[in-house]
Amino acid sequence: MSNDIKAQSKLNNSELWGGLIGLALGIFVIWSGIKLKIGSINDPGSGFVLFYTGLLMCVFAATIIVAAVTEGGPTFGSRWEGARWSKPLLIIGCLTAFSFALDTLGFLLSAIPLMVLLLRAIDPVRWSLTIPLAILAPLGVWWVLKRLLLIQLPSGIFEIG
Amino acid sequence: MDVLLNVAQGFGVALQPINLLYCFIGVFIGTLVGVLPGIGPISAMSLLLPVTLSGTPESGIIMMAGIYYGSMYGGSTTSILVNIPGEAASVVTCIDGHQMAKQGRAGPALGISALGSFIAGTFSLVALMLVAPSLASVAIAFGPAEYFSLMVLGLVVLTFLTQGSMAKALLMACIGIVLGLIGLDSITAQPRLTFGRMELIDGIGLVPVVMGLFGIAEVLINTEQVIKREVINAKITQLLPNKADWKASAGPVARGTILGFFLGILPGGGAVVASFASYALEKRLSPTPERFGNGAIEGVAGPESANNAAAGGAFIPLMTLGIPPNVVMALLLGAFVIHGLQPGPLLITQNPGLFWGIVASMYIGNLMLLVLNLPLIGMWVQLLKLPYNILFPLIILFTIIGVYCSSNNVFDVYVMIGFGVIGYFMRKLGYEPAPLVLAFVLGPMLENNLRKSLILSQGDLLTFVQRPISATCLALAVVLLVGPLLPSLRKKRELVALDEGA
Repeated sequence: MSNDIKAQSKLNNSELWGGLIGLALGIFVIWSGIKLKIGSINDPGSGFVLFYTGLLMCVFAATIIVAAVTEGGPTFGSRWEGARWSKPLLIIGCLTAFSFALDTLGFLLSAIPLMVLLLRAIDPVRWSLTIPLAILAPLGVWWVLKRLLLIQLPSGIFEIG
Repeated sequence: MDVLLNVAQGFGVALQPINLLYCFIGVFIGTLVGVLPGIGPISAMSLLLPVTLSGTPESGIIMMAGIYYGSMYGGSTTSILVNIPGEAASVVTCIDGHQMAKQGRAGPALGISALGSFIAGTFSLVALMLVAPSLASVAIAFGPAEYFSLMVLGLVVLTFLTQGSMAKALLMACIGIVLGLIGLDSITAQPRLTFGRMELIDGIGLVPVVMGLFGIAEVLINTEQVIKREVINAKITQLLPNKADWKASAGPVARGTILGFFLGILPGGGAVVASFASYALEKRLSPTPERFGNGAIEGVAGPESANNAAAGGAFIPLMTLGIPPNVVMALLLGAFVIHGLQPGPLLITQNPGLFWGIVASMYIGNLMLLVLNLPLIGMWVQLLKLPYNILFPLIILFTIIGVYCSSNNVFDVYVMIGFGVIGYFMRKLGYEPAPLVLAFVLGPMLENNLRKSLILSQGDLLTFVQRPISATCLALAVVLLVGPLLPSLRKKRELVALDEGA
């Protein structure tokens, strides 16, 4: 990897941050293990495995951090170099909005706009195909689940579906 | 004689019309996801896990198994015709398979791949039939210490074989164990890491975790780049390999079958490792290794046989010990559990119809796959032309539905979306999800067996090294953990390490 995209012990070293997140998670798991009671070796408690797994997590995370500091690691920018990062971001946004709308609006009213957005966001599909596909796919799935498999999807406050 | 009677009983189950239908649906979907790059058997199986609820355990598990070995067949089509692996076990088939296609020999490449897969699949089934009952009778003597050590070995092997840093893979495995322990403690009934949420009392479901990490994350990663596919458009003729092709392929098929079967049994191993190992073996044994990479039929025959044999071998640890050796088998374990069944040493004696029915269905499935992948190859080639901008939104819709149907709970949809985002960032930062998922499944069993063995031995840690099977497993695990510190072994690991997820 060339030097311009390899950061050594700098803040934009993605390996370093990955290790730090792992370390934080490990510390949290150790703390949870202690809180749940570790017990003794001949009578392990609910937190026994959590505690020791947390310790292992800290060891592995520390190894990643040491490697990141001594050997360096790719920058965040290089991880997304040449990638169309806005596409996954857009999909994540659509899915988050969908998850908030699902319970309130119900499956059909939230899935149809989701499909429209996804079909237009990834690599825009022409409108004449987007609209029928966005309506027919959720409607078809809803029909199969409700009528054939007798599975009730969320109908929301408007009780549609 | 007993085996023949059992097989007859198995065919009695597998030939029931409903089971034949499920078997066909399984192998059809398996071939479909194998052909389509970006969706693997893991995504398809987790998507269809809830569907298994509606039928009998036999039907559901027959379908799930069909998806797995069906995807091994389908994956080669994309590798040969498009030079993109349909799923991870077909990566190596691209090397010589696509070269053959470019030289106008796509037919024999596809033919030997399907026929080699059929031979290997059939052999692995015969071996499964013969080995599984004897191993199950030995496994009855396994205690918690043996189970614990075997699971540790499985996790270590998988982390050893995972692409990239081993520390990262081990960290992922630890996170998987922690996630698996969320919910009520099975011994003290104390809630753990539930943060006061009622939805977490029963723990996190396998389906939303897998669908998020493999389904949604895969779509997110794939949308980052413009996917260009150059499908070989020439008409595919003469699918059956000629005499010279058969002569060149006989050895690789036989060696790939045996190698694949044994690598499939190993915990943590599987079809991906088997295909690479077979390719390396054939290249080493060949008097003309320079032909490899330039369209050598041995480079297609060996790996394709190996990955199918491995798919059959992987059923052995699950069926006889109740331990899934890889993520796909972990999902199959999920299907057993959904139906209130526990695979393990007693499964064959307590549910002979189920075990032998699944085995017999795999014979039938292999025959169906031969028909699907040879005369109907044109249909799959057409499918390769389906645009991704339509396919990906549909995959997202089906994952949402699949997750919701598995529990009738909107919370699981949130969990899936959360894990999808986590999975995306994990992949971007070089953290593989496979060790996490296997550890997530094994975590509760691992904890249970560790605590049981400590209670039974009154806290004597030597119990793990005094029992020969347990000691052997732990010794192997230590070798694999320490091994990458040696430069020669590290190099070998980098050669075989692969992304299992696709």
